[in-house]
Amino acid sequence: MISNPAMNKIILRVFTITALAWLGGCSSLGQVNAWEKGNLAKPMMTFESDPLDQRFVQHVYGSKENSSGGYGVGGGGCGCN
Amino acid sequence: MNKSPSSFALPASGVLLASLVLPGLAALATFAPLTASAETAPEQTTVSVKYGNYQDSQANWDRVKVNAAQVYVQAPIAGEWSIEASGVSDNVSGATPYAHSHKSGASGGGKTGMSDERHAGDVKITRYLPRAAISASLAYSTEHDYKSTAVGLDARWSSDDNNRTWTVGYGNSHDTIDNSYSGGSIVGKHKNTNEFMGGVTQVLTPTDIAQFNLTRSIGSGYYDDPYKNYDSRPDRRNAWIGLARWNHYVSAFDASIRTSYRYYSDTFGVASHTAGIEWVQPTGRWTFTPGLRYYSQSAANFYFDPVLTAQGQYDSFGTLLRAFNMTGNKSADQRLAAFGALTLSMKASYAVTPNVVADVKYERYRQSAALHLGSAGSPGLDAFKANFMQVGLSYRF
Repeated sequence: MISNPAMNKIILRVFTITALAWLGGCSSLGQVNAWEKGNLAKPMMTFESDPLDQRFVQHVYGSKENSSGGYGVGGGGCGCN
Repeated sequence: MNKSPSSFALPASGVLLASLVLPGLAALATFAPLTASAETAPEQTTVSVKYGNYQDSQANWDRVKVNAAQVYVQAPIAGEWSIEASGVSDNVSGATPYAHSHKSGASGGGKTGMSDERHAGDVKITRYLPRAAISASLAYSTEHDYKSTAVGLDARWSSDDNNRTWTVGYGNSHDTIDNSYSGGSIVGKHKNTNEFMGGVTQVLTPTDIAQFNLTRSIGSGYYDDPYKNYDSRPDRRNAWIGLARWNHYVSAFDASIRTSYRYYSDTFGVASHTAGIEWVQPTGRWTFTPGLRYYSQSAANFYFDPVLTAQGQYDSFGTLLRAFNMTGNKSADQRLAAFGALTLSMKASYAVTPNVVADVKYERYRQSAALHLGSAGSPGLDAFKANFMQVGLSYRF
């Protein structure tokens, strides 16, 4: 299992580099015209299709596992059992 | 012609902003299948209700049961604003172990059992601008022994061609832990957490869209679990969380594949990997969504393993002695151990009319040391199972 600080830093750097590539390094990436986005506009392509569903499920996982968050900000905590 | 929920297409210009809205309490920013894009206020009001049931267990022991009722409302205001509000009321009952997964002496293990109720609500206001949106939210949650207040601010804006959207967000939560109502010794302890998030969502091709979010969480205060034996945790917990998601449209089946990966690392010493995949298949008025989730975490650096007998049984006295001889922070909380988990899920939704959608979802969860990524996880823990089910109805007008 990856758990040491050095490996953590490597993984975070990979994430950061990927984000930077999207932000500016790959200017030709994703040149999709508006009329080509019909399929992307379908609800099945959204990242969050049912917020109440996700809220319930993430609450369960946050109660039974150590990790939580990463999907947004502004949510409160709980004294979960 | 019958229309499935998936056929209620969003305007193409709003694809990006609509697709990047985030879950948790903040996720209530939109009800994606039934609303317009995020940079224009919704034109209709959406009301959703959902009932959830959860039951977990280990060998010969049903542990915790939860029943939760949720409601969500989103309404447009004056064309350029929207307001959203939600509420949840859940009832928790059963028993949890005082240490590791050991049944003897579990909290609520007596005839009466542990019972608690949680009531939570939140409200969110969003202002829509050309190719941008700004939101502010407030959330409150209360239990017998736990209260939480949270605020959030987020902004998102897209490029001129609507192929890329950036997101920034800030959240603060302030929690109070107090179990004196039941004779406990924890009175007025606090925990404060600040979260900073940045993200980008990118249209890659006419059939691919991807998202990356990075969150920094900085927390301080009381992290002990007052219902666990030998529990003493650091008073600070900072975390890095990276989330990558990619959705692909499969033309041959008019379906989509949703994938996600989350990396989490905190100063408790826990690192985790979460990977998920879903297949979304519309068929007439129906939409079926089978899913698979895998999770694996390392142990916190202050978690200690139980002492086992020569026969591999839990040695209560030996474990107590081990805890007694430890100095500094320590915890026997199973949730801080090294383990893996697998979830299988199936969701079915049915469009009764274009404005009314009913859904049902069933999930089966299994957690064990044997599922830990790469090597065996923490020893001496029983496998843990859970079933959860949700039934919901959404209506827009």
